[in-house]
Amino acid sequence: MSGSNENKVELTLPFKAEYVSIARLTASGVSNRMGFDIETIEDIKVALAEVCNKLVAYGSSVCDSYKIIFNISEKELNIVFDSKDKTLDSLFREEHDELGISIIQALMDSLSLSDDSSYILSISKSIEGSDNDYRE
Amino acid sequence: MSSELKIVEEDKADVTTVLLNGEVDIYTSQNLKEKLYNIIETKKKELEIDCKNLTYIDSTGLGIFVGALKKSKQYGSAIKITNLKDNIKKLFIITGLDKLFIIG
Repeated sequence: MSGSNENKVELTLPFKAEYVSIARLTASGVSNRMGFDIETIEDIKVALAEVCNKLVAYGSSVCDSYKIIFNISEKELNIVFDSKDKTLDSLFREEHDELGISIIQALMDSLSLSDDSSYILSISKSIEGSDNDYRE
Repeated sequence: MSSELKIVEEDKADVTTVLLNGEVDIYTSQNLKEKLYNIIETKKKELEIDCKNLTYIDSTGLGIFVGALKKSKQYGSAIKITNLKDNIKKLFIITGLDKLFIIG
């Protein structure tokens, strides 16, 4: 049994809307286990689902599923989205997206796209930086 | 599947209230869209969307609200959104939709 504080949880989901809730539940469980506060857990769920929504809405002619990898470390949750269809990253490069991308950027600490097609998109949230500034 | 949304409609003299119970996501939002559009087209009066039991919404759901607002303006009526939970109100603020809707 590994004693490392760095762990990985992987989920493979079909490009189907009815499975996005499974991703949200997993995100909720993982971030709760890491010790994020309830407000931040909600933020992570929303941001993750926005990525899933775009992937599901667009789908792929190359494959039937996409993968979500939760990289868990002591201070940060990094969520990587990947698929055999690497062209899906274009969904997040185009500027015409209305609400989805702005929500992800506002709720997470970082959003990055792969430079070498090793994954599609990665979003991160640090436990210490989880108190973001959205106040009325 | 597990995403669930229950929509309860209540008709009063000058306002129709729609109570949302559960989650509005990419899976449940189509049903919400049909329901809201139908109410706006048939009732032609103010619509109150009561969110006290709404636990989750994403950009698909927010988009439905915006579409419903546009439609209600065509009929000269208004939409009021009430009892938003803090985590959902935050999304309205992030996206600027708090300025578009009457939020009570």
